[in-house]
Amino acid sequence: MAGLYRPRKASEWATCAVAVLLILLGLPLLIMGAELALLGGSLYYVVAGAAIIAGGILMLMGSVAGAFLYLLAWLLTWPWALWEVGFDGWGLLPRLLGPTLIAVLVVLTIPVLRRLQKTSLAQKGIA
Amino acid sequence: MPRTDLSAATALCGLVLLSAVAGIAPARAQSAYKEAPPGPGDADAPGKKADNKFAGPSPFAPQAPGVNAANIPDGPPAEPGEATPAVEQIGSHPAHDDWPAYGRDTDATRFSPLEQITPQNVGQLTRAFVYHTGSKPAPGQVNKWAAETTPIKVGDGLYMCTAMNDIVKLDPATGKEIWRHEAGVKYASIPYTAACKAVVYYTSSTVPEGEPCHNRILEGTLDMRLIEVDADTGKLCEGFGYHGQVNLMKGMGESVPGFVSMTAPPPIVNGAIVVNHEVLDGQRRWAPSGVIRGYDAETGKFLWAWDVNRPDQHGEPAEGQHYSRGTPNSWATMTGDNALGLVYVPTGNSAADYYSAMRSPEENKVSSAIVALDVKTGSPRWVFQTVHKDVWDYDIGSQPTMIDFPGQDGPVPALVVPTKRGQTFVLDRRDGKPILPVEERPAPLATDVQGDPRSPTQPWSVGMPRLGLPDLKESDMWGMSPIDQLFCRLKFRRAKYEGEFTAPSVEKPWIEYPGYNGGSDWGSMAYDPKTGVLIANWNVTPMYDQLVTRKKADALGLMPIDDPNFKPGGGGAEGNGAMADTPYGIVVSPFWNQYTHMMCNKPPYGMITAIDMHTRKVLWQHPLGSARANGPWGFPTYLPLTIGTPNNGGPVVTAGGVVFVGATTDNMLHAFDAKSGKELWNDVLPGGGQATPMTYEYKGKQYVAIMAGGHHFMMTPVSDALVVYALPDGK
Repeated sequence: MAGLYRPRKASEWATCAVAVLLILLGLPLLIMGAELALLGGSLYYVVAGAAIIAGGILMLMGSVAGAFLYLLAWLLTWPWALWEVGFDGWGLLPRLLGPTLIAVLVVLTIPVLRRLQKTSLAQKGIA
Repeated sequence: MPRTDLSAATALCGLVLLSAVAGIAPARAQSAYKEAPPGPGDADAPGKKADNKFAGPSPFAPQAPGVNAANIPDGPPAEPGEATPAVEQIGSHPAHDDWPAYGRDTDATRFSPLEQITPQNVGQLTRAFVYHTGSKPAPGQVNKWAAETTPIKVGDGLYMCTAMNDIVKLDPATGKEIWRHEAGVKYASIPYTAACKAVVYYTSSTVPEGEPCHNRILEGTLDMRLIEVDADTGKLCEGFGYHGQVNLMKGMGESVPGFVSMTAPPPIVNGAIVVNHEVLDGQRRWAPSGVIRGYDAETGKFLWAWDVNRPDQHGEPAEGQHYSRGTPNSWATMTGDNALGLVYVPTGNSAADYYSAMRSPEENKVSSAIVALDVKTGSPRWVFQTVHKDVWDYDIGSQPTMIDFPGQDGPVPALVVPTKRGQTFVLDRRDGKPILPVEERPAPLATDVQGDPRSPTQPWSVGMPRLGLPDLKESDMWGMSPIDQLFCRLKFRRAKYEGEFTAPSVEKPWIEYPGYNGGSDWGSMAYDPKTGVLIANWNVTPMYDQLVTRKKADALGLMPIDDPNFKPGGGGAEGNGAMADTPYGIVVSPFWNQYTHMMCNKPPYGMITAIDMHTRKVLWQHPLGSARANGPWGFPTYLPLTIGTPNNGGPVVTAGGVVFVGATTDNMLHAFDAKSGKELWNDVLPGGGQATPMTYEYKGKQYVAIMAGGHHFMMTPVSDALVVYALPDGK
């Protein structure tokens, strides 16, 4: 069973923090998004919330797939945002600015996660 | 920026979770309620309505004396009378250099023939002087200030009132105070807002030129007095009323200070001062009357009353009686028509704005309407209603403008009526018939408010461009991040919303849009009669409303201003209201994210539009106001982005081709090219510019003045500064 990894270096602590951040941001998206979907509103938020939380959990487990899951959600947010509001700058602002800034943080965690994964696989190999 | 965004998101995260857990307990509707309002003769008929706690006080029941700030003796009730024949007033034919009335002239065009300041040189405007009125909140006082003042200029004087009704005359070139009449208005008399939109200039028909009080300055006060002073000295005119003052509380019955007040300049039409007054919204169904009255401009003598539920009685109520309570009040500036002998009264709602089951058929005919009263008798000649059975506070706040409408067979005497709905009605002044087509369109009827059905149709002025945006949809919700945006999307979905006339709701909140501060609130419009161009600035500010049962209202601590336990600041006119005497209270807030104080809908929140009245086409239109002084949690962003902010205060247009408008929450005075709408110049004011600017010429120099008084509800900084601009010498 894959457990949570123990951060040792600063970069690993930072990666862990990003993962926790994703979960913290994903939770309200998931909870409020579920209510919104039940009220007949947009499905985007509940789906995005679930994806972001899953991404965060995977990252906490030291899996690079978590980072890629977030980035996939982020990437798919663009066509969704453009479909909803077109090229309206004010409309795009809440939909894209924050997620893009977080995407930058997530990209920075990829090398750390890759290294963690290699170490973990190596350890498994030895065992 | 990333840091801000993240911290915002995280903070929101926690708050949002909390709020989601806490939830909002849905209020339940009370049992069905039906009650006719009381009328003379049947209000307290024994056994008939005695068991009903919502019944109004009888007009024949003894009433405690009203507020009388100046201890003016009342005298016996007056019979209807006739006005002293008047001479022509300068407001009808203003001198080239002057701005003698609130709307510049009696037509209320806000158009000045001055042309020294042009699109080419407006960028060089500098401050000529700043005058401090001295009226602002004292330490410890709740800020209820919004002066909203437009000075008037006649000859060698700039005349204005302060937010607390002191009258001053200033030197138009230097701002030096020449005289001041202290009105002695007390803080307790401030209703929702300490405002005084303007004073009125009056030339006497009986006092010869050269004698005191030949030319007079008239004002209505927050504590319900008319005051006339000599224009040269500021001394009270002894021949007017009781040593220069008239007590307007006479006949009003029970009241407390701040319940009824005058904030708008009363027009003088053919010798009759026509008086309206604001009645504080949301207090109780049987609030003091919204009666409109006429007084003789020479003597202050009572002339007539128009009292909606006593339509055939034009005299003052008999001893111990009072004007009919709870009737629609008119707080906007009225427009007088000397040629037709009419005054156009923009009306509001009956008291208890959001519940209409207790209104009389007479009230329903004249609320949120323009009522043309004959200034000789006080009888309505025609009525044009802009909202049927208004429960949205879409009362008319703007002064209508008189224009010669460019018709096919020559000019038609027309009245342009701006509304909070953003519908602009154009009426024939002679009969009130629409000149441009008005359609009665179906309106939603679904409501869980028992016994209070809505009107099946509402009027739409389809011949004029709409000063508004399309109906809201979920994807219009806004925020800084997906989380606060989602919060607003959820708020949107949780509420009832079926467009502009979504009926009130008890079970869940409903969205009121364009909202009671939407469209054209009290700012009014400007009209250039030479080019036929109409300038209007307007708002896009939805509200989030919910009716609450009396039990819940009591739990929320909502109580009317005349309740002995009422605390100032505990429920203002533009927020939660007790609506005592009805089954419901009202909870109102902006449709915003209550944690970040950012509006839930996306920008713009304010716009400015120029309409060619020959073709009724929009010449230009764009967002008005920048984001510099606005941002999440009330922090200024200092971003020079034209986001379009809420705005209160009207525009001015000049023959020089420049439009001046303050109004916005970026605390700036803006100048636009009247032809293209391009912003040519702006200046940051010492306080919010929530007032209509004005312009005048003195000794060959053109000045532009704006009261930067701020506005407590708009959350702009309060100041007591009148800021006056001119071109530098030698330019």
